[in-house]
Amino acid sequence: MARREDGRDWAYRVDPYGFERPEDFDYASYEAFFSRYLVVLTRRAIKWSKLLKGNNSIQKSLKVKRYIRKGIPNEHRALVWMIVSGAQTNMEQNPGYYHRLLEGEKNAKLLEAIKTDMNRTFPDNVKFRKTADPCLQHALYNVLVAYGHHNKAVGYCQGMNFIAGYLILITKNEEESFWLLDALIGRILPDYYSPAMLGLKTDQEVLGELVKMKVPAVAELMERHGVMWTLVVSRWFICLFIDILPVETVLRIWDCLFYEGSKIIFRVALTLIKQNQAFILEATNFPDICDKFKQITKGTFVTECHSFMQKIFADPGSLSMATINKLRETCREKVLSQG
Amino acid sequence: MLVGDSGVGKTCLLVRFKDGAFLAGSFISTVGIDFRNKVLTVDGVKVKLQIWDTAGQERFRSVTHAYYRDAHALLLLYDVTNKASFDNIQAWLTEIHEYAQQDVVLMLLGNKVDSAQDRVVKREDGEKLAKEYGVPFMETSAKSGLNVELAFTAIAKELKHRSMKLPNEPKFKLHDYVKKEVRGSGCCRS
Repeated sequence: MARREDGRDWAYRVDPYGFERPEDFDYASYEAFFSRYLVVLTRRAIKWSKLLKGNNSIQKSLKVKRYIRKGIPNEHRALVWMIVSGAQTNMEQNPGYYHRLLEGEKNAKLLEAIKTDMNRTFPDNVKFRKTADPCLQHALYNVLVAYGHHNKAVGYCQGMNFIAGYLILITKNEEESFWLLDALIGRILPDYYSPAMLGLKTDQEVLGELVKMKVPAVAELMERHGVMWTLVVSRWFICLFIDILPVETVLRIWDCLFYEGSKIIFRVALTLIKQNQAFILEATNFPDICDKFKQITKGTFVTECHSFMQKIFADPGSLSMATINKLRETCREKVLSQG
Repeated sequence: MLVGDSGVGKTCLLVRFKDGAFLAGSFISTVGIDFRNKVLTVDGVKVKLQIWDTAGQERFRSVTHAYYRDAHALLLLYDVTNKASFDNIQAWLTEIHEYAQQDVVLMLLGNKVDSAQDRVVKREDGEKLAKEYGVPFMETSAKSGLNVELAFTAIAKELKHRSMKLPNEPKFKLHDYVKKEVRGSGCCRS
């Protein structure tokens, strides 16, 4: 293996998904974490192999839910996402549909918007570089073009490029990525990406209400300094934590997102805020608050994905779908009345 | 706060200013709204700028314009190699007038002037439009660094003067300062 001058393995500069590690990456603490996590991964891999043994179907059950919360091994991730999200069923019921979308007539404006973002999607990932073979930009372009023509009400919204990019990295398959994107945007997430972005605006308000209930001191701080939630959390929702949290942590969150739905996003957001409550409350002005919200998405707390995932189900306390639906309804009214 | 169409170079301009670097193809599209901090020394006084970077795609405007009211200054960008981004400036200005503070510091920037062969918007066109709306104007290049420092420094100076409100100090004139300091992109500017 090629070694750099500093003796660090060259290959190690790039993570297993192709992302280059930043200059200031803390290798020592990551290695300490990963050696512990490897034990977990091994144990989970054995359990999952038994669960999936001989059949590629998964019935929803408490056991499966528990398994998913503890993480889907990477070798099974694509398959499990496909099954539990319903993407597999849709793909099987619509053979050839994806390819027909690509062969059909195209909307020039949509293509232009997608092209603008091609070089701006994961330039830090070696698999998305023009020089890579295969270069995943082609797959990304196809998936986004197909989706924009499939779901014309949404078309293309920035942020979808990152989500589709992750799906391609995990499935290594365009058609599967397309159907998973459809599961997320068409079913799992409320209207985040359509031109009015009503679902996004609503959920940002819903988070504000949940913080009022569960971390009132932080809600009060935000209110006192007039910081709108959209300023600090819009990227959390639109990118589903891509480029906010470490890759492995994002994937663990997505495991649950595909199985349990969009309320996971609130669990993650609430955990980040609650865990860092004292730190956030040190802020004494508007720019400080914004800084704090950026800092709480970094560090060992979020890197240690396994304990982080345990925290998101314990820390925020109960969070019923009924509560969220009710809040969504009232917040939606509020957003609509503000025009 | 940086605003303007998608792909005009808002993030590049900000990174050039913050880190003095331009790495082609190293930027990701900005989604929603994000920021970077930079401390500048203006006339011997340290000024902390929190510079907000926004997504240019049209549908994000309804998300980001909510923040206009809190912005002290707005840098409105277009790309001199992209006519549509220039044509949209009027719409951006309308939106700014609707949502921003009355006295917000505003500046119009024509970016990417390093791409001389691809230029489709003349400097005169930018100047004319800026004059029409009474906003200071300059052409910039995040790639070469042309006028980048100046754009942010001019804004910082204006903001500092406003916040100090020294009665005896002559009023800082942003327009005049920009006119005096601005550099052209070509070699034969008179």
